[in-house]
Amino acid sequence: MDFLYNYIYYIGAFGLILIGLYILLVKHNLIKMIIGLSILETGVNLFIITLGYLDNGTAPIFSKENLESNMMVDPVPQALVLTAIVIGLAVLALALSLAIRLYDSFKTLNLKKIKEQKW
Amino acid sequence: MKEITYINPVLLIAVPLALAFIIPILKFVWEKSIKWIPVAGFLFDLIVSITLIPIVLQKNIIVKIGGTTTPFSINLVVGPAGLLLSIMISLAGFLVAIYALKYIQEGDKTKYHILFMLLLTGAIGVVLTGDIFNLFVFFEVLCISSYALVGYLGNRAGIESSIKYLIQGSIGSSLLLVGIGLIYGQYGTLNMADLAAQIKTADSISLFVPMFFMITGLGIEAAIFPLNSWLPDAHSSAPSSISAVLSGIAIEVGLYAMMRILFTIFAAESFMGFLLFLGVITLLIGEMSAFSQNNIKRMLAYSSIGQIGLIVFAFSIATASGLSGGFFQMISHTLNKALLFLATGFMIYRTGSMEISSFRGLGKKMPLTALFFTIGTFSIIGLPPFVGFASKFLIFKAALAKQELLFIILIAVIILTTVIEGAYFFRIIQTLYFKESDDKSSKQESAITALIPMFIFALLILILGIYPNWIMKFIHSAASELLNKMSYLRSVLG
Amino acid sequence: MKKFFSLILLIIIVVGMIYTIHQIPFGKNQSKIGKYFVANGKDETGAANIVTSVVVGYRSFDTLGEVTVLFLAAIGLGAILTTTKKQNHDIEKASLILNTGCRFLFPLVLLFSAYIFIHGHLSPGGGFQGGAVVASGFLLIYLACPGKRINKVGNTISESVGGLIFIILGAIGLFVGDRYFLANFLPKGELNTLFSAGIIPIIYIALGFKVGSELNSVIDKMMEES
Repeated sequence: MDFLYNYIYYIGAFGLILIGLYILLVKHNLIKMIIGLSILETGVNLFIITLGYLDNGTAPIFSKENLESNMMVDPVPQALVLTAIVIGLAVLALALSLAIRLYDSFKTLNLKKIKEQKW
Repeated sequence: MKEITYINPVLLIAVPLALAFIIPILKFVWEKSIKWIPVAGFLFDLIVSITLIPIVLQKNIIVKIGGTTTPFSINLVVGPAGLLLSIMISLAGFLVAIYALKYIQEGDKTKYHILFMLLLTGAIGVVLTGDIFNLFVFFEVLCISSYALVGYLGNRAGIESSIKYLIQGSIGSSLLLVGIGLIYGQYGTLNMADLAAQIKTADSISLFVPMFFMITGLGIEAAIFPLNSWLPDAHSSAPSSISAVLSGIAIEVGLYAMMRILFTIFAAESFMGFLLFLGVITLLIGEMSAFSQNNIKRMLAYSSIGQIGLIVFAFSIATASGLSGGFFQMISHTLNKALLFLATGFMIYRTGSMEISSFRGLGKKMPLTALFFTIGTFSIIGLPPFVGFASKFLIFKAALAKQELLFIILIAVIILTTVIEGAYFFRIIQTLYFKESDDKSSKQESAITALIPMFIFALLILILGIYPNWIMKFIHSAASELLNKMSYLRSVLG
Repeated sequence: MKKFFSLILLIIIVVGMIYTIHQIPFGKNQSKIGKYFVANGKDETGAANIVTSVVVGYRSFDTLGEVTVLFLAAIGLGAILTTTKKQNHDIEKASLILNTGCRFLFPLVLLFSAYIFIHGHLSPGGGFQGGAVVASGFLLIYLACPGKRINKVGNTISESVGGLIFIILGAIGLFVGDRYFLANFLPKGELNTLFSAGIIPIIYIALGFKVGSELNSVIDKMMEES
């Protein structure tokens, strides 16, 4: 139980990362791969935010007078994840627009069937 | 001590960004001026970078951003190595922007110029930053604009390559982010110098894992052997001006970031032996694949893989002379490959085909373009008196100075690849000059705005080939800055 | 076969990660820079929300890059989707209730988003969150009232001006006080009041407009495709 308490967030984060990577390695449908990418990014974000967790900590906002700064969770991972989410969003938007154009040109989303470029 | 005044290097990043933000408004006001904006921006960067050289040669410039306390706020570290790369980026950006004045005719031109500017601004950010998460952010600026530019033409090849590049590149970025997270969790800081002060060696496995993730993530952009399957597609499907920048700048910036992390943060001497082999394998595979290509842009792209392998090899020697050779090879590769892609761009435009066989007789029809192309090929093969000879010579000298059997064998392999390189490049030159073309169309040169940048690149290749000593001092200090972790630490943390 | 090798690769990654995670104590201590920020952040930047003081104060250069990435996404999307031919679909008209309801909600959504990005330095939220809410309001209109489009010129101008304000505010810092980029040169004010934290609220308002208009242009392009 103690183990689960300590590592449940990490297990979740790495679970998401591995599911994302597995989808990207094994699947051939572009939409599925983009979903995998999204899951991978979510996992990474969850992992980074977990690094800042503090037992019984409060949000790092001085909204009242009597808040102690040493009971606040680490603000840096939250700032990093804000950046990472926006970057993930940008990549996702670009990937989806490319998927639209890919379907227009090839009439399929299966990357295995598209083999015009090769070594 | 007298305080020397200089222009704040943060403007190297801020000014191009501001100009890129202005472009969409300019579209409504004065559309004709848009294509001159990248030229102006990179001219500014080039001038500012060059004025910074004498200051940087004495000591690193630390630029504070958003706060004055060093490990807590972001800072830029402008050392000789970063400045060298930044000069090359702004030089290539300036010349390729001039080339693009006439070359870019299709698609949404406004967006092309914005993306082109942001690509190189991201590259400057990566080479100058002193913060590991900031490096990631600028790396993403670089990557995302290259994904969009590869698919810019909207043809079948471009879209397919862009998708491949995007998927692999995003996996790489995610791995890099995981690595940064693991490092942050262990050391509680993101500043590179502060991290380097806490990390003594990368021997423990808890450091090896984040290092592995970060190297893999950056290695995808740098196209090191098992991770380079996107490169030939992406570089050959982009417009030629973009191929020049991607081949000449983007992969080298990825490599520089990787070396900065390896040398400065982790001081991973033991990892270098592994990279040595990867570099030689990358070189061998790149050149052998290039040999069997009929499409000229794919051939040049594979040749880029080979050159990157050579640069990795030079850096992995991990001596001062090896690093100097690596930096010199970077300069030489940027000049050569940019020149080759720019010349190829108008040759393809003229013949309407990327097949090498369709270039028959172009030596008579486009004499200047063909001449510049020939200079580029001679330099990349490493014939004297061009710059490629000087850089290859430096690398050989550095490797032989190690006096180990292993290095002699690897040098033999590299000489073999040079022979392969010579074989396929001479095949093109033969096609250009010694085969008669079928159609008897008249002589017609490339546009004058394309010939000027090609001429400047060719001139630089010649001058630096004949007088390499002019920049050797700068290169040596760049190499010693990258190699000497302690002086970097002292300059940042005081 | 491919699946098998993928699984082996993933297992190696897992083992490495677990080994590394052991070195990081969970939920026990704050990190070195995190400790510094929660201890000194409110005095140095004047923002009650420490995450905001990190995002727009200490690490504002990251935020500049982040805004650039979002700008890139909007521009890149436009560049890739321009060349497609326009198809005409039959669009089913939304029902009266949906139509009226959305038009009723739209100003409220915008008001809420303005609240979020103006109070970014006091409460959870900020320019990015506010911008996302702006875009959700416009998305509502796009879905409920087919045929309505945003004003592209205005959208582009607010996108560009938002970014320019950020950079110009940063560049002013080069000439004032401590002379560094993105210096907080305005008076800090009293903690926990609306007019505090110097340039942070101004940057967040600019970011709110910029992020909102960028997401709008992404939505606009995507809606035109479908």
